Amino acid sequence: MRIVVPVKQVPDLVEELELNSEGSDIDREFVKFVANEWDEQALEEALLIKEAVGAQVSVVAFDEPDVDQTLYTALARGADDAVKLTGAGDGWLSTAERARLLAQWLSGQSYDMVITGVQASDDLDGQLAGTLGGLLGVPHASVVVGVEPGSGSVTVTQELAGGTVVTTEIATPCVVGMQTARQAPRYAPISRIRQAMSAGGLESVEAPGEATGPAEGVELLRLYPPEKAGRAEMISGDAPAVAERIVEILASKGLVKL
Amino acid sequence: MLAVVVTRHILGGMGPAQIAVFYSLAVIAIAVFFYGLARRVAKYRQGRSIDRPWLRGPGSGVKGVTARPSFASAAGAVLTNRTVRRRKPLVGWAHLALFWGFLGLLAATTIVGVDYDIYGHIITGAIEGHEKTFLTGWFYEAFNLVFNAAGVAAIAGLAVLLVRRHQRSEPQLDYTRVDVKDGGYSRAKLVAGDMLFVDLLMAILVTGFLVQGLRILSEGFPSFERWTWMGWFVAKALSVAGISPNVAFYLHGVLWWAHSLMALGFVAYLPYSKAVHMITSAADLVATDPGPTRRLPALADGKPGYTSAADFTWKELLDFDACTKCGRCHEVCPARTSGGPLSPRDLILDLRQWLNTTRHIPTLLETELRSETTGPAAPPDAEPAGDVIRQETLWACTTCMACVEACPVGIEHVPTIVSLRRRLVDQGKMEPTLQAALQNVASQGNSFGKSARMRARWTKALDFTIKDARKEPVELLWFVGDHASFDERMQGLSQSLARLLHDAGVDFGLLYEAERNAGNDVRRVGEEGLFEMLVESNMQAMSNASFTEIFTTDPHSFNTLRNEYSSFGLEVRVRHYSQLLADLLETGRIPVAPLGAKVTYHDPCYLGRYNRITEAPRRVIRALGCELVEMPRNRDNTFCCGAGGGRIWMDDSHLEERPSEMRIKEAGALAVDRFVVACPKDFAMYSDAAKTTGLDTSMQVVDLVQLVEEAHALATRETAGMASGAKSGETETS
Repeated sequence: MRIVVPVKQVPDLVEELELNSEGSDIDREFVKFVANEWDEQALEEALLIKEAVGAQVSVVAFDEPDVDQTLYTALARGADDAVKLTGAGDGWLSTAERARLLAQWLSGQSYDMVITGVQASDDLDGQLAGTLGGLLGVPHASVVVGVEPGSGSVTVTQELAGGTVVTTEIATPCVVGMQTARQAPRYAPISRIRQAMSAGGLESVEAPGEATGPAEGVELLRLYPPEKAGRAEMISGDAPAVAERIVEILASKGLVKL
Repeated sequence: MLAVVVTRHILGGMGPAQIAVFYSLAVIAIAVFFYGLARRVAKYRQGRSIDRPWLRGPGSGVKGVTARPSFASAAGAVLTNRTVRRRKPLVGWAHLALFWGFLGLLAATTIVGVDYDIYGHIITGAIEGHEKTFLTGWFYEAFNLVFNAAGVAAIAGLAVLLVRRHQRSEPQLDYTRVDVKDGGYSRAKLVAGDMLFVDLLMAILVTGFLVQGLRILSEGFPSFERWTWMGWFVAKALSVAGISPNVAFYLHGVLWWAHSLMALGFVAYLPYSKAVHMITSAADLVATDPGPTRRLPALADGKPGYTSAADFTWKELLDFDACTKCGRCHEVCPARTSGGPLSPRDLILDLRQWLNTTRHIPTLLETELRSETTGPAAPPDAEPAGDVIRQETLWACTTCMACVEACPVGIEHVPTIVSLRRRLVDQGKMEPTLQAALQNVASQGNSFGKSARMRARWTKALDFTIKDARKEPVELLWFVGDHASFDERMQGLSQSLARLLHDAGVDFGLLYEAERNAGNDVRRVGEEGLFEMLVESNMQAMSNASFTEIFTTDPHSFNTLRNEYSSFGLEVRVRHYSQLLADLLETGRIPVAPLGAKVTYHDPCYLGRYNRITEAPRRVIRALGCELVEMPRNRDNTFCCGAGGGRIWMDDSHLEERPSEMRIKEAGALAVDRFVVACPKDFAMYSDAAKTTGLDTSMQVVDLVQLVEEAHALATRETAGMASGAKSGETETS
């Protein structure tokens, strides 16, 4: 079984983000990039499957800032190989473009499962797994919290709204968007990361195409930092007093009629 | 033979058959002894090789901290029982009496053997034709005078130790495990082994005197036997008890055999039992090194941690065999005393049992029985880290070094624990909070997970700019450390220290955002790769800066910079801020007015115990006109706050009572106003502990810096009050 885990880089939110002078993007010059945390969940799930039943785990990423660190860390954690797709362009890659390029690359690969993060902190759209599944013509499942491999199929557990948990059996090959793995992503000892670096097991491959910018008819005008709104009001007192205050607020906003 | 000859008959009154039996048994006992000893020695020779240079020439020790280890000083420690007497005078002196008493009796037996067998049978008997003895006349009298004293000393010393072992009322002699709460094990054999050892030794000593007394009684008290004073006394006592010379003669024959069989049995039993410590503990004291605990060894052959029995060094194998179960480590361990799952004693005993079983070393009454193949009963292919020693046990260690310090036989627990932790780290077996801290250190260079660029943000509140040592030369480089830089509770302390140094005109600077976590705790967690990465970053940053000396806020950073960075090329002097403050106060560069407060001082483990810096903070306290009431456990005997060795990144809610709470209660009994600390982690731990114990209402936790700041402010106010036209207006303090 071969599991492909597409991962991406996102700005490290420990840093304060700033916009570039045109206001068209964040200032990528001085931002540190780290692995998308949901992709780390995807890799962990893939490694758990590998440990349970055996699998080849391949990690794939576009040539984004600090991506080597992420790929070597994946190898240190137990991934078998890592591919860096180069030449897809510099700036931010939208989920749709990402899916299109990945699907093109994947169509030349043999795989049983693609497991990727359900979303990333810089898109929050949760579209990658679904789009990828559609482009590849294979079934997909998102918001997954557990993958149990079977023969010719996998059983996925999804967490839906309202605390509902759904278990579905889907045929392989398939695409899975991972919410959380069955256990927290494992620690990658620095010595192992350094070993992976000196072993140099990173394969650079030309991306099957280049980013073409936003879809036709869509134009990015400007980014804004979140506006500072007023402070939250802490309501204290006993339940009737709190209720009365809430009703008052709702009424003042015109949301309820008294 | 004339009756007046001053001697006694060796093997007197025995027929040739009895003599033949005795000699056969003696040969067997000695053969069994040497076989057991050879098996042990062969085991040590299989241990991984490490260097102990003073066994060949002069050793180096840890500069400025410990004496240079040497064969002579180690031999001195063995012969004077210095380490056994330390902190435990009664037990120590009792052991010393037994030690020299036993050596005396061994010498006595050897002299008799040489006289009777070599001189008598071989030299004079076989060569000259008639057997002679040199054990006559004044020599016989002196022999008995001296060695009776040895026997009495041995009995007196052993009596104290025997009673202690039988009572088992002290916590360190209790073998109840702290890591296995639900049973499934029996340590009855260990107890039986202890009892057999002391009881057998006592029986041999007592029957020795009885045999002597019965002989003197049966011989009708020859006057020269008065020199055999204890034997004479026993003979008199037996006579008073109504034993006739004839009965004495008969009893002598019986007891002589009892005594001899027990003594030969003891010889045979020695290398298989607790008694082997007579050899292994002495050897371990000679081989012990004060270095590796302070300056942890690098990875062995690049291998991240111990994975099998083959990874232990010969010194570790010797350590394990040297343990006498005295329990001093068990007594002082902050993990054990706070209800954590670690007893350093049991860690050593478990590894010993597992390694002896794995290597097929025969032992007697030295094993714990288990209903399952876990812990010391783990199979030979088990993992030492995780199977033999549980993960929780290894993670419980604060690396405070109290065990190493307390151990009378030179066992180095801490490097062994770290070597085992390295394996856990390599497998990713750790608490999520620790993992997060390590990931933060790896990505941002600090355990707080804050941006590396925010490291020097605390300096913004100052009304002057601290020099950037990367941009202009400074005399002193201040290595601030994570806690003093990022923890909001400690940033104020860093600002205070900066103002004091600025006012005193000290030429100092920072590495600003280029500073990284120094790596002391990272290394002690077992993340050696990350430690090396941090050293590389810091060494790179320091190589771009110009300074002549370093001082640190954190005693942990201090330890690694002072003792470990030298292996990576750091060559400047490293001091702790308490040393710097002491000098500035004593030379009057920081003017202060006496505070008159009644304070106590808590020695940080990594300052007081690891690096023996105990006087500088006390000099500061004295210079401020404070009354210092010492903690009951102070200086190198200090008690850990529970935060060291990476514990600060782990959950401590499972503990019955936190070490910091136990410690602050110790201070609470001293009726002092302030609890003075000299370590940012201590400040955090004890501020919390004072609150949770309610002691914060009567006693304030303060850092040394705050105390100096207060006395300095007082002096500044007084000066301003006395003369309005002060020379310098720069000494204003908020």
